[in-house]
Amino acid sequence: MPEVTMPRLSDTMQEGTIGRWLKKPGDEVKRGDILAEIETDKATMDLQAYDAGILEQILVGEGETVPIGQPVAIIGSGEGARKPEQREAAKAGAKDGRAVAGAAVAAGERPGTAAGAPTAQVSAAEARRGAEAAPAAPPAMGVPAGIEEGARIKASPLARRMAAEHGLDLRQIQGRGPGGRIERADIEDYLEQQRMAPAVAAPQPVAAPVEAPAPTPAAPAAPPEAEVIKPSRMQAAIARRMVEAKQAIPHIYVSTEIDVTDLLALRQTLNASAGEDEVKVSINDLVVKACALALEKFPEVNSSFQDGQFIRHKQINIGIAVDIPDGLVVPVIRDANLKGVRTIAREAKALVEKARARKLSQADLEGGTFSVSNLGMMDVTSFVAIINPPEAAILAVASVRKQFVPVDGQPVIRDIMPVTMSADHRILYGAGVARFLQEVKRLLQNPYSLLG
Amino acid sequence: MAEMTYRQALHDTLREELLRDENVFLIGEEIGVFEGSYKITAGLLQEFGPKRVVDTPICENGFVGLAIGAAMLGLRPVVEIMTINFITLAMDEIVNHAAKIYYMFGGQCPIPLVIRTPGGGGQQLAATHSQNLEVWFAHVPGLKVVAPATPADARGMLRTAIRDNNPVLFLENLALYNTRGEVPDGDYTIPFGQAKVAREGKDLTVISYSRMAAVAMDVARRLEEEDKLSVEVVDVRSLRPLDRETIINSVKKTNRAIVFEEDWRSYGVGAEIVATVQEEAFDYLDAPVKRVASVEVPLPYAKPLERAALTGAQQLLDAINDLAPRRRR
Repeated sequence: MPEVTMPRLSDTMQEGTIGRWLKKPGDEVKRGDILAEIETDKATMDLQAYDAGILEQILVGEGETVPIGQPVAIIGSGEGARKPEQREAAKAGAKDGRAVAGAAVAAGERPGTAAGAPTAQVSAAEARRGAEAAPAAPPAMGVPAGIEEGARIKASPLARRMAAEHGLDLRQIQGRGPGGRIERADIEDYLEQQRMAPAVAAPQPVAAPVEAPAPTPAAPAAPPEAEVIKPSRMQAAIARRMVEAKQAIPHIYVSTEIDVTDLLALRQTLNASAGEDEVKVSINDLVVKACALALEKFPEVNSSFQDGQFIRHKQINIGIAVDIPDGLVVPVIRDANLKGVRTIAREAKALVEKARARKLSQADLEGGTFSVSNLGMMDVTSFVAIINPPEAAILAVASVRKQFVPVDGQPVIRDIMPVTMSADHRILYGAGVARFLQEVKRLLQNPYSLLG
Repeated sequence: MAEMTYRQALHDTLREELLRDENVFLIGEEIGVFEGSYKITAGLLQEFGPKRVVDTPICENGFVGLAIGAAMLGLRPVVEIMTINFITLAMDEIVNHAAKIYYMFGGQCPIPLVIRTPGGGGQQLAATHSQNLEVWFAHVPGLKVVAPATPADARGMLRTAIRDNNPVLFLENLALYNTRGEVPDGDYTIPFGQAKVAREGKDLTVISYSRMAAVAMDVARRLEEEDKLSVEVVDVRSLRPLDRETIINSVKKTNRAIVFEEDWRSYGVGAEIVATVQEEAFDYLDAPVKRVASVEVPLPYAKPLERAALTGAQQLLDAINDLAPRRRR
């Protein structure tokens, strides 16, 4: 009887929410039929049927979230009755979702992040819970919300032994072996996450006295005058990712000021010559292009620090932080070094429109190697951004202002744009970042070099 | 060290043992005048004469029984059964006599008997001439069953077999006779019940014997060269007694194992080894142990069907790719 499992719809997806079931139990299903809509942190995608038959059971209701690999429905001949234990099995298993979003106003999602990126607070808290939920512990001990007791967990004997040795609760660990079996690699991944996650004190109701029944993990007590708002999935993911990025990555910051007087003139010329329908080139598009060309010259900046190694990326893909209602996304312009500024402008415009319409696809969000966050339109004198892992750096661009600058001893009014680069000090050092910034500055101050 | 074929290693060992101990004699069909169906005994009749190299009629039960009687009286017969397929005729002699006489008669007379016989398919010899029946004997207490995969092991283990005071089934393989390998000089012996880690690896263990151990070595070498996987190969060499410790230690190291055997899968060597592994290394297993064996049909004569039915390198590769730990897949 084929089980329909929560699919992995992106490289970084850990769990998904059933948005809406399009089929109901008893419906006939053909291969390729859309069974349900799955909400991930970033997008809503279709769950397709890979088997034909009758949709016998729905194991996960609308609005419920389960890790990838967990059965969400059963397609069969139509004879199967709904069995409660299957529903439990579907709900049991790893939680610990991790996902999208970006850094402050300055980051986004990238493939491969999951492997190295700890879920700081979540992991620490869960580890403690895991340690306490030892086999002999009374059932009253803190069982994480959403995970039911007694469900059978598939784990290899070795994984079970390792979990026991480290005092881990298998229910907290996601199995990626056949049929969702927890294997050695899953335990090792989990331990690695824990190791990388600083032990953050997370107030959790785990210290409840053994005799007392565990309190239902209630919403944090709010002062009477305040309103409690549940974050959206994207907001929750952003919150997690920011903690990960800021805690795991030692940031350094290097700032400079760029004279963009000539750049603005060039932009005006470019846009004046653009036809009616042509997209206007923005300052940000030119900054993206300058960064891409500088990354060509300084490949060490176009890198990642992963699993203790430096990964140098061949492609130069630049993420642009896009402000959207109650969130932030960082779609990616691929091969920005190879594209002309008009092409970059066209793509950026299309991505921003898609972002605001919440139509970005997984492919639009993946693969960034460097990011640009621009608050220039908001009258910002300067700011620093949080790196968007696994990228090594991000450039924060502030507003252009007219300033008096001494030229030949005389005050001259020039257009000045302050920028601050945040860099991962595990890969990059201050002087290298400064040299890279000098190149960005040189390019922007000699803007015809951007048209080559 | 000298490089030689598996065939040459057996021939030279038999000749040396005939020279070393006058109680040793060879007996079997076509081993004298015809010099053996697979030429293992070439030249030996001429050198040692018809009392030491005895041609028999086609009567396996007769000459195996004769050899057992000779062994009871102190000789050290080395029987050649032309292929293991014909051993069925002598089952009573082997299972009810050779394996039990020492026990049932209060240890009065040991049975220093060796039965050499090749098994294996792939030569288009069809269903009744291509079998691997060694597990029948490995099942019986009182017998020793060994199955070397290399010329060096064949030489050292045949010496041990002939000098052992118990009945030994010495399993050869038609497809191994022409394989070559380095053979140490000197009168070395290889004790039974000692498996060999033929190749060290860390991702998973392939446990095998006889020709499939040789195939596993090739596969492991290829995978290593292509920088794909580090496969450990354990050649058990001796099915009874079985060296469980080496197997268990390897599984404890790699946490994943495949048993690779040319015979049929059900009730096979793999079944025995898998049972042992789960008994003694359960907490070290990261995945179910796989068995790779031949399809359970009488082996077809037609070449494409024979190829499809017999296990081999491709089947092992598929299993390895299936079982390899996630990071390495």
